[in-house]
Amino acid sequence: MKRLNQSELSAVMAPVEKARGLPNAFYTDPELFELEKKTVFEKNWSCIGFGKDIPKPGDARPVTFAGIPLLTVRDRQGQVRVFQNVCRHRGMKLIEEPTTFKSVIRCPYHSWCYELDGALRSTPHVGGVGRNTHPDIDRDGLGLFEVRSKVWMDVIFVNISGDASEFDDYAGHLMERWSEFDGKQVFHGGPNSSLTFEVKCNWKLAVENFCESYHLPWVHPGLNSYSKLEDHYNIVETNAYSGQGTQVYNPQLDATGRRFADFAGLSSKWDAAAEYIALFPNVQLGVHRDHFFVIHLEPLDVGTTREYIEIYYASEDMCGDAMGDLRAAHAAAWNEVFAEDVFVIEGMQQGRHAPAFDGGKFSPVMDTATHCFHHWVAGRFETG
Amino acid sequence: MSGNGDLNMRILAGHASGDFAGLSDLYAEAGLNAEANGEIDRACFFFTQAYVFALDAGSTAAAADLRAKLVSYGREL
Ligand code: FES
Ligand SMILES: [Fe+2]
Repeated sequence: MKRLNQSELSAVMAPVEKARGLPNAFYTDPELFELEKKTVFEKNWSCIGFGKDIPKPGDARPVTFAGIPLLTVRDRQGQVRVFQNVCRHRGMKLIEEPTTFKSVIRCPYHSWCYELDGALRSTPHVGGVGRNTHPDIDRDGLGLFEVRSKVWMDVIFVNISGDASEFDDYAGHLMERWSEFDGKQVFHGGPNSSLTFEVKCNWKLAVENFCESYHLPWVHPGLNSYSKLEDHYNIVETNAYSGQGTQVYNPQLDATGRRFADFAGLSSKWDAAAEYIALFPNVQLGVHRDHFFVIHLEPLDVGTTREYIEIYYASEDMCGDAMGDLRAAHAAAWNEVFAEDVFVIEGMQQGRHAPAFDGGKFSPVMDTATHCFHHWVAGRFETG
Repeated sequence: MSGNGDLNMRILAGHASGDFAGLSDLYAEAGLNAEANGEIDRACFFFTQAYVFALDAGSTAAAADLRAKLVSYGREL
């Protein structure tokens, strides 16, 4: 691995007017990607999926995150829990496919059974055939390894290292900023409201492109008709999140006079405002008065990222058959925007193999959100 | 004995089909047969199998009964 160079990190941490972007190695070096799994993904609150994918008690999904096999499950009380997907006996992976547990999590190897809260319930034949106890098998100390988790805006966040600050502190600024949306019941639009992309770029380029509006008139000329560059503002919260907002969000009626219902109780700020924010490291959210979306970035390797995009609405009615065609059109419109971004994030990835590229020169005005993210990443390496 | 051979076949079929509630009942039946013959270790093997499959199937009442039986023989907590 190219040795992490403190002066290069300091150059990233400098004020935006003077700063350089992250060096090429942050996008191209597999060893640095391995280090990033620890310092960036495990030590912070990272997104691993969505509550809507495990809607009922007992529903469970396996997830691999940063190379770690995890198991997400909704327990009897309706709470999402995350465990390392491994049996305490011989280390068998517990589940391979999404499933619904009727009562216990039974290991497929020797059938040790765990409660949905992780407690070890049964250890068949552990003391010999037909003898399910043994003095040296202390069930209390042999529950599943639970991972610290939190669900916010239906996003399942985990802190694998267990030592990050509380989620409510970590994301506190954003929870405050969007307090009008926080705590509202949200309704996923169903199968036609999920989009997936697999892109040939490092996950950070997807973050960087998402949080800036500088590219809109060039890459998304179609958005320009209702969302001109001068209607956008930068959002920068050092060491927390960054993104962009617009002042002219204006959902149109369709040909039959329908539109999606608004979230209840929003202040007038949201009549025409919409905001798009990357909560570091790997989740991006967009809020509007009548819908929000979440993008989960799954880093597959240093140069490959999967994006899961999920669209939510304000009421159950918006998710029924009567609105199905409207949801499909809405998802198609967003899909077009995200598809327009693919060539730039993949092109930036290719550009980072140019040895002379020095991280780039930020616009002190237009690139503050991007710099905020670089500053955060560089800071993880300084302290980690 | 032909009854046991048939039970054995049904247990194998239950494993193949993944019908765990049915499998639990079959193992419980095998356990009761062994218990009636005074073969307690063998019975507890079958009751354990029945208990685990009842847990898996979410057959709460059956699981509780089987657990109580195993506890009475000092085989379960
Ligand atoms: S490895 Fe899970 S029960 Fe043996
Ligand atoms: Fe874009």
